[in-house]
Amino acid sequence: MGPAYPKNGGGDQNMRSVGLRVLAVIERDLKKFRRNPLVVAMSVLLPLIYLVILGHSFQGKLQALPLVVANLDSGPFSRNVMENLRAVEAGPKTFTLVIVGDEKDAIDGIRRGKYKAGLIIPSDFSKRVALKARPEVGLFLDNTDGISSEAVKNAIMGALGSIRSDYVSIRDKSDEIFLRDINLYRQVDYYESLVPGVVIMAIFLGTLTTGAFNVVMDRFLGVDESYLLTPLSKSDIVAGLIISGLFITTIIAVVILAVSMLMTGIHFSRSPQQFASILLIIILTTLCLLSLMFVILGRINHPRVVGILSGFLNVILFFPSGAVYPIASFPQWLKTFAKINPEAYAVDALKGLLFKGADLASIATDIAFLLVFTIVMMTTAIMTFRRTL
Amino acid sequence: MLQRNKAVEVSGITKRFGSLVAVDNVSFDVMEGEIFGFLGPNGAGKTTLIRMLTTLMKPTSGEATVGCCDVTKQPAAVRREIGVVPQAMTSDLDLTGFENMDIYARFYGISSKERKDKIAYLLETVGLSARANELVAAYSGGMRRRLEIARVFVHRPKILFLDEPTIGLDPQSRRVVWDFLRKLREEASITIFITTHYMEEAEVLCSRVAIIDSGRIIAIGSPQDLKSQIPGNDIVSLAVENLTDILVDRINHLPFVREVGTEDGNVRIYVDNGAQDLPLLIDEVKSSGGKVLSATVHQQSLEDVFIHYTGKSIREEEGKKVSFLVGAGIPQKWGR
Repeated sequence: MGPAYPKNGGGDQNMRSVGLRVLAVIERDLKKFRRNPLVVAMSVLLPLIYLVILGHSFQGKLQALPLVVANLDSGPFSRNVMENLRAVEAGPKTFTLVIVGDEKDAIDGIRRGKYKAGLIIPSDFSKRVALKARPEVGLFLDNTDGISSEAVKNAIMGALGSIRSDYVSIRDKSDEIFLRDINLYRQVDYYESLVPGVVIMAIFLGTLTTGAFNVVMDRFLGVDESYLLTPLSKSDIVAGLIISGLFITTIIAVVILAVSMLMTGIHFSRSPQQFASILLIIILTTLCLLSLMFVILGRINHPRVVGILSGFLNVILFFPSGAVYPIASFPQWLKTFAKINPEAYAVDALKGLLFKGADLASIATDIAFLLVFTIVMMTTAIMTFRRTL
Repeated sequence: MLQRNKAVEVSGITKRFGSLVAVDNVSFDVMEGEIFGFLGPNGAGKTTLIRMLTTLMKPTSGEATVGCCDVTKQPAAVRREIGVVPQAMTSDLDLTGFENMDIYARFYGISSKERKDKIAYLLETVGLSARANELVAAYSGGMRRRLEIARVFVHRPKILFLDEPTIGLDPQSRRVVWDFLRKLREEASITIFITTHYMEEAEVLCSRVAIIDSGRIIAIGSPQDLKSQIPGNDIVSLAVENLTDILVDRINHLPFVREVGTEDGNVRIYVDNGAQDLPLLIDEVKSSGGKVLSATVHQQSLEDVFIHYTGKSIREEEGKKVSFLVGAGIPQKWGR
């Protein structure tokens, strides 16, 4: 026989026992918190990650925007303009210059998304400056990115302004170099420009709550054991969950796209080709993120971890994607990150399709990246997925 | 006797979790058509053993062949031959009973017509036909367990593994499960491997039993064989006040006493005829100045076999220490 069972103490109605109960609840909660090192670490880190990512995604000055210049004039004043542009490129670094031979190359480059703007200096520019006959330069703008095109325009105005003051008297209006800016596309306001990002966010949330999340929940509920005991292979499980996740997420994304287009008033060309291209990007992005989630969540067994990871992944994927502010404003490290961020390519592709009426060839880089990323992640997912308990 | 093939062949299988040896160098064979029982207390290593035999865990060392193939070399082939009812309930709560069975059957590539017939038959057999289209979330524990046992038969496994199939069931449901297992075994002539910590289950159901304690097999044989290994037929248990070694020694020297053991102030006396010998034993205690507080006589059971070999009765072992990483959603094996 062991020691005797201790006697009962007083009742549980007094204040002291109320205190005991509350203390017990508090202690239980604190213990649970302390025993989840990952959740503790993430709740401390997450606000700091927000600080760093958001701080650098919005605050920076736009830099290194690709500006294409076609200088058709061989006169002294156009050389002067070029010198001033180079000074901007070297100084505030607002844009980086690309020189081409003719106007068509420049405009095609902008349309294909290679450049943000194109400056055309006509062949009679120097002559007109000398004659004070309203000299004119043309600026073609990718106005779908309003923030970037505004920044380029202002920087060029500055560069042209100093030519004028060197060579003509201030009071004379006829000398002013007239900057004729030509918007290549229909005007896109900021509200509309957020739509591609919103669609990508819908895809992000869809892929987070389908696909690999089912594995986490099955594991959490202990249901996975019976599935693992059947002839189901690793690739059966991964492929099956990715296909069902793709189906659900695609529907969500298309609905979100339609609703947000109606809300913001984005013009839809109604061409089946445009719709097919948008659908292709949505499907590719979904596959891409579903595979990524499988790699990240592949071995997690508690939904709480998914909750905290969702906040983390959203901040590091969404804000540096260019969905809310141009990538050109990011510091170098964040720009480098944007180069491997699938959401950045997805946003770029959707912006092209929605605002520029781009064809698939002009977003080929985006498609290629998303494809390669998906293949790499899906292979990793199948390789790292454990088929044992 | 007919020469039978081995359905399960295990040699020197061991599983370690860090410093804990859950299964320690275990070897045994199960013949085709047998109901083979693994009997032991909670924490003895039964579930770990079954997980290794059913390809859910890799053994640290040793080999096991289940059905056609080696469990580590050809796990996929093994999975096609076996059916497993894990200890934890694993049916999907978000699906109906029928849907749970149907999805499972599809994992084995069973055609739609065949599925329908089989599932209807199996649900009828376990008495769930009327609730087949209800979500499993609405089932009672017993219903869910019966569904899981029925589910494992959709693909006609050659070897069936059941890990504590009647744990938590009331005596009535337990009998339903036993009858069901016997019936299906006779009709489908399959091999059944079962773990249990219920003595009665092992005695009633199994043709052979291995008794496992702390990861090791301590005895193996038919229930009758195992019982015949302990002396006498009956066991007299006496609770004695102020039990002394001298008294135990005196009892041990009585001519009709085959063996004596003590546990927590109780004396267990192995005799041939308990009813006849009890008064004599009480007299002996009295004459030595002792006082008998209570006495019981019972026929030997597997429980006594267990006590005989381990010196303790089957009871809950202390819970295993859980890694601090578990709650964080990281699999325990990372923390080890």
